[in-house]
Amino acid sequence: MAEKALEIKDLRKVYDTGTVAVDGVSLSVDKGEFFGFLGPNGAGKTTTIHCITGVARITSGTITVSGIDVVDDYRKARTKVGIAPQEFNIDIFGKVGKLLDYVGGYYGMTKPEREKRIDELLLQFDMMKYKDTAFQHLSGGYKRRVMLVRALVHNPDILILDEPTAGVDVELRRDLWKYLQKLNKAGRTIILTSHYLEEVELLCDRIAIINKGKIVEEGSKDYFTRDGKSLEDHYLEIAKNGKGYE
Amino acid sequence: MNKISGLNKIGLYTLVRREIERILRISIQTFAAPLISATLFIFIFGYVLGSRIDEIAGVPYMQFVFPGILLMNILSSAFEHTASAVFFGRWIKSIEEMLVAPFSYIEMILGYVLSAVIRALLIGIGILIIGLFFGAVAISNAPLFLLYAVSVAIIFALVGILVGLWAKSFEQLGLLNVFVIMPLSFLGGMFYSLEFLNETVRAITIANPIFYFIDGMRYATVGYSESNLMIGAILIIGLILTLGILVMHLFKIGWRIRA
Repeated sequence: MAEKALEIKDLRKVYDTGTVAVDGVSLSVDKGEFFGFLGPNGAGKTTTIHCITGVARITSGTITVSGIDVVDDYRKARTKVGIAPQEFNIDIFGKVGKLLDYVGGYYGMTKPEREKRIDELLLQFDMMKYKDTAFQHLSGGYKRRVMLVRALVHNPDILILDEPTAGVDVELRRDLWKYLQKLNKAGRTIILTSHYLEEVELLCDRIAIINKGKIVEEGSKDYFTRDGKSLEDHYLEIAKNGKGYE
Repeated sequence: MNKISGLNKIGLYTLVRREIERILRISIQTFAAPLISATLFIFIFGYVLGSRIDEIAGVPYMQFVFPGILLMNILSSAFEHTASAVFFGRWIKSIEEMLVAPFSYIEMILGYVLSAVIRALLIGIGILIIGLFFGAVAISNAPLFLLYAVSVAIIFALVGILVGLWAKSFEQLGLLNVFVIMPLSFLGGMFYSLEFLNETVRAITIANPIFYFIDGMRYATVGYSESNLMIGAILIIGLILTLGILVMHLFKIGWRIRA
């Protein structure tokens, strides 16, 4: 049996307003898997991610990353996960190198470790020239790269990417795809949410679709592209059949 | 790498370093403004008006007002620091960087409070240097002086965290400072002795907690006090404990920081 990178059991998240954002989600992601997490806006993708990473409190259910409970042993669990969120939740006035250095420090990396890792990542992402540039002065594509680099600074086992290519031009998107494939081949587990279904189809081994806080379909890429159809065709078909879609 | 047991020391140090580097980035607002304001206060109230006012209990007026000016800047720097750090962190969601990192809520609070105390002390040192030029500085009890400076900075750093968590707009962020902290500071015996006041105003002043902070600081500097210092000490300890427990509880439940 494959080792689990992420295991969610009966996750339920009810906001203080009474909104049920996630309603009994259970799913698991194997180590080294490239997992696509799809759904329309407001379906519960980001809330699920927030519950994994600790940005949101879990109402009920359990989440483990690499077998570590994200609530009971949150400190250890958080070192295992890197998140590149949809929004630029960063000090926009800070310089790229500094911002990354702080994040490395939060994760307990020593100065030499941080310097080595940050330079390595900036080189890989062709961003060394922007090390001393304030985040606010970067183009949209480079801002996305910074978010990705930030998620990787502490060398996490699991990388969660929430719409990582939103607003990114085609060339950069392809570069990012290549890099993500390389990371995945090197053994990193990646969980991807995206509205670009061709991106998910290209990159992911397995896919789950969530809507109204519930998983409505889950399977391998082959399952979603059976009968020669694309993932998009299948996604729309599910929508037409009313599997929880509006 | 990534093995954190016990206190996240590097993380905590990084939090404090980040906050200090942030205020250095906006040093006109964070350092120049309070130092210029303190200089004007010392010059106008201490030097210009002070030369026309008799000594109070054998203390030159300049030296009498100086502890209050110093303390007002210490407390407002500490308050502004945490209030803006927490509020802006929530506003631009950069606080999520801390929430997803291996920090306990106590470490997060410590990071904010320590950086606020450092900022307040830096301002305090700057004002002391300015005060030296005007002959306004006297320190009769240095450890007590430091204790008051740090304690008051901790209290207002904690108040700042509460306001930073509570505020939903920039307008709300400034409310407490404008309507509570500033009036209480000015009416806390900063510029005058209790002897100058009638009974009613004296009773109001005695009910003002900031009066005890200023009075204690005045005792540590010029050795003159108008209140029971024990009341001040109990007040300081009580406030630190009460506010500390409240802030810890709010961080623990993730009030306005975790969805």
